[in-house]
Amino acid sequence: MTGNLLLAALVGAVCYLDRTAAFQMMLHRPLLVASIMGAVFGDLAAGAQVGAVLELLYIVRLPVGASIPPDDTGAAVFGGAAAAVASSSIGLDGGSFTSILLLSVPCAELGKFADRYVRRVNGRIARLTVDSVERGDSEAVRHGLLAGLVLFGAAGALLSLLFAGLGVSLSGYLLPRFGPESREQFSILLPAIPLLGAASVFSCSRTEKTAPLFYLTMTAVFAVTLFFRWAG
Amino acid sequence: MAGTGSRVLRSVWLRQFLLQGCWNYEGMQNVGFAYCMLPALRELYGESPEELLKALKRHLEFFNTHPTMAGVILGATVRLEERVASGETDPRAIGTFKVGLMGSLGAIGDSFFWGALKPMASVAGAILSLVHPLLGIAALLLLYNVSHLVIRYRGFTAGVQGEESAVQFLRGANLSTKTEDCKLLAAVLGGAYAGVLGSGTAWMVGGPAEVAGLFLVFALLIHLFSIFLRKAVSPSEVLLFLLIVGVLILR
Repeated sequence: MTGNLLLAALVGAVCYLDRTAAFQMMLHRPLLVASIMGAVFGDLAAGAQVGAVLELLYIVRLPVGASIPPDDTGAAVFGGAAAAVASSSIGLDGGSFTSILLLSVPCAELGKFADRYVRRVNGRIARLTVDSVERGDSEAVRHGLLAGLVLFGAAGALLSLLFAGLGVSLSGYLLPRFGPESREQFSILLPAIPLLGAASVFSCSRTEKTAPLFYLTMTAVFAVTLFFRWAG
Repeated sequence: MAGTGSRVLRSVWLRQFLLQGCWNYEGMQNVGFAYCMLPALRELYGESPEELLKALKRHLEFFNTHPTMAGVILGATVRLEERVASGETDPRAIGTFKVGLMGSLGAIGDSFFWGALKPMASVAGAILSLVHPLLGIAALLLLYNVSHLVIRYRGFTAGVQGEESAVQFLRGANLSTKTEDCKLLAAVLGGAYAGVLGSGTAWMVGGPAEVAGLFLVFALLIHLFSIFLRKAVSPSEVLLFLLIVGVLILR
């Protein structure tokens, strides 16, 4: 398990770098991160199931200017690890799935707080860089950027280690303490969570044209898929 | 006029992927921008360390735009620095140019990439992951990165050709129309996502009356959530509320 956690930290660091500091190629998106974490802890499909729901939950919060959205990458590290471990122990039933999704919220908020802290420390690095250039050191720019990247990467690795560890602990020790009946009660909330994701997409794509289109498609797809389920 | 070689331009283009490497609240992308410009500045002012330091200080001033749109500004700034190095332009023109463009390009980029393309790619990925996780991931990455990389490359190339080419590129890219199109597609896919997941739950309920009732409940719930989200309630707050409800159910 230590090897898995270290691998999670390493992969997590790359995903976190993509989030702000480098690339911005969507390698930090929950669907991808949770699937990778699922694979690291033994079940890619279980991780992907959690990732697909997390993918849309926070999409409405845009990283515009100085605002930092909740850390859905961290939530996916937690969720992917927890889902894979649950799947190989108690099974990824509705209750476990719901509790993993809901308990990923503190990770998303903690990750946001850590991101803000890293950016504050980067402010000191940037000031030092400017001072060094004024003293005649042109290499300071390269060193300043490298320091910022290392800081973002190290914070990402630490957060990934923490969140993956929490995910493994949740599914390995906490969830099995609740019986299948308790978990079944908890699963009543499950349908509401993907609907929050759909509402998130609806909110950020909403214009006069798109609002009716959203509900029309929802109705049509609901009816057609239900027909095929009944027919098949 | 002093020119910048293709090797240096390639280096500047590649470095734009690290523009936010030292993102901070005071100068935002200032260190990243100076880092991106460094190979070009070294080539232009390599024989005059004082001029090199002056140029670096120019680029360590506040800078913030959408990272994908920065390619246009970077390319055009390289061209402007060439003119400054050959004495054709006043160095202050660079600051004016950057400040003039970063706000509007930031707004266009945020609206297109964060507000339309990302939700569209995400919801497509989420739907296709129901078929196979790898299909969903591939769709997400492809749908986003094709536009992302093309705009980074073409924007930089247009910028290097001069300010007029940059403006022409931005007009030709027609991002406001593409934003509308992506939002439309995101709404359709979002509706499909809600429909598929809703029918999955409704299937287990029973008769047509219950199914119709459940569909209405789902549609109302989405509408209610979207009102909350528009009123700046965080998704985390909604989820924490659900968590509290869940804990109360357990008791």
